[in-house]
Amino acid sequence: MPPKRMTANQDRSHRYYPGKVEYAEDALSSDSENSDAEASSAHQPAKPTLPKATSFPKDARLAANLSKIDLDARRAQAAAQEAERLKREADARAKEEEEFVTDDDNDEEDGSGREQESGSEEEEEEQEESTSSEDDVPKRRMPAPKFISKTNRKQCSVPVFSEEELAAQEDARRKERADEMLQLQLEKQAAAKAAGKKDWDDDEEGLADEVDDADDVDPEEERALWKIRELLRIKRDRDAIESAEKEREEIERRRNLSKEERDAEDREYIDTQKEEHEGKGKMGHMQKYFHRGAYTFDADDETKQLLNRDIMGSRFQDDARDKSMLPSALQIRDMTKIGKKGRTRYRDMKSEDTGRWGDLGVRDRRKDGEYKLDERFRSDGDAERAGGTGANAYAVGERRKRVDDSRDGRRDDKRPNLHYVYYDPA
Amino acid sequence: MAHAADAKKALDSRGYTGSLIRGDNPLKLFEKPVRDRIIESYYWKEQCFGLNAATLLDRAIELTFIGGTYGVSQRPTPFLCLVFKMLQLTPDKEVILFYLQQEEFKYLRALAAFYIRLAWEKDAEVYETLEPYLADSRKLRRRTREGWTLTHVDEFVDDLLIKGRICATTLPKLNPRVMLEDEDKLEPRISALGEELEELDADDDGSDGEVVEVANGQANGIGQAEEDGENDAEMVAD
Repeated sequence: MPPKRMTANQDRSHRYYPGKVEYAEDALSSDSENSDAEASSAHQPAKPTLPKATSFPKDARLAANLSKIDLDARRAQAAAQEAERLKREADARAKEEEEFVTDDDNDEEDGSGREQESGSEEEEEEQEESTSSEDDVPKRRMPAPKFISKTNRKQCSVPVFSEEELAAQEDARRKERADEMLQLQLEKQAAAKAAGKKDWDDDEEGLADEVDDADDVDPEEERALWKIRELLRIKRDRDAIESAEKEREEIERRRNLSKEERDAEDREYIDTQKEEHEGKGKMGHMQKYFHRGAYTFDADDETKQLLNRDIMGSRFQDDARDKSMLPSALQIRDMTKIGKKGRTRYRDMKSEDTGRWGDLGVRDRRKDGEYKLDERFRSDGDAERAGGTGANAYAVGERRKRVDDSRDGRRDDKRPNLHYVYYDPA
Repeated sequence: MAHAADAKKALDSRGYTGSLIRGDNPLKLFEKPVRDRIIESYYWKEQCFGLNAATLLDRAIELTFIGGTYGVSQRPTPFLCLVFKMLQLTPDKEVILFYLQQEEFKYLRALAAFYIRLAWEKDAEVYETLEPYLADSRKLRRRTREGWTLTHVDEFVDDLLIKGRICATTLPKLNPRVMLEDEDKLEPRISALGEELEELDADDDGSDGEVVEVANGQANGIGQAEEDGENDAEMVAD
């Protein structure tokens, strides 16, 4: 048989590998002792440990009754029940097997006898387990069925618990009681918590103590503070009234002025505004535009001062005022974009313009080549040659003087004078 | 009003048949996100189920702070949940006034004041009812979004009358007092300071009537204590 261990060196000391299952060696192998120890130690980590106490509602009555259980009586009861059951089963089996007789009859009887004993033992142990708490994992080794010959059978029919089994049962009971106590303690803590604090409020209430809302700690001071607040409120109201009044007055006054005066005042106001704007730094050429921001809502005095500060005129330390001295790659409005991929190369409209200023560039390309064409195929011209085409192309000039027309030329009156028509009404 | 322990109908505004505030379901005074937070909160589910006007008092007495929503997840305060419950119940005017007039419990007073500001539709009534409490200078603990602050009953009432948004709700529009005074619906406000104010004005004839800093234990403060007490009583009884 090949050695169990794959290493060449059979004497190699064993190491614990978590999760690796070690099998018990034969008694024949030299490592039997070690392997046994290992087997048991390896066995233990595999067993899951259950929590000490559970939130599963425990029936308090169960705990109380536990101490009152008389185990011996229980055991006797259980033994009696089991004997009865087995007897019934044996009878049933006997009835079945009446027909055939095998040479295993003897063995069967022995087997059943053995079963009975071990069965009763098992039954009691099972009962033990069921009465003990559900949490306990029964680490109970069933006593291996041992063959007892007929003679020995009669001697000890009462199941005897070995000492270690008894000790184990005691341990189990003690452990269980300890768990009970722990559970009770936890419940008490929870109750105390519930009494002091609300369930829904799982925040730390301790933080709330920093703000103390106890009244009458110092009545005079509180009264003084209240007075200040009240006066501020009154002041606020009065200021509101005053400003409303002032506005109304202003409107009245303006209405009473004549139109010219109003215009004069407006111009003054605009001029002062312009001055203010000019006083602030101009944008300059290729300066980054800093907007002052939209936070102008509900500005108080401090904020208004901030709002009126001169943003565009301010320069920071590395700001190049004259960008024409810089190489063209650095002549950017926003210097933060230098070296970055996404910046636009746009400078300003004038430099991007590809045309000539004022040159509208209106030229009809088609007309340029028409001189080569025959006159008939040329285009008609703009707006049909403003004025007239064809016969109207030329202005009508003065009539040529005809000889007939003059007085001297009209010697013979044979021809009718058609300059005027003689109309005879008759 | 018929009180239904299961108030689902009130929360679902489709078939709402209860009393209206400003022509709509009272619960609509709170915005949808706030409403959702309240309904999902544990306080609402555990403590505000099946309350009526009387049992609401029990809850109100246990209040220890005011506030709207707090924290990252916008948790509503018990104060807000109780106001929501009151909107659901829409108690009578007398009940609300009773709540408001309780001297012993300041948080109950704050609760009633908030309800009045939200629910009552006549501006003049709101001003008249709430202004006396500008004299109540007791401390209130307030839970803001980030932490805790100290405020006072009179500050809270003042905020209710002046501000547009408080405690996670947008307050319904209230005409400014000046407008009501111009329409002769209200008299100009008589401050609880009363006589002291006149004296201050007399003193400050020269200056602009700036605020006079009253330090701790100054003659002004102590000497007038009894008189002020009277004035305050008058104001409150109004």
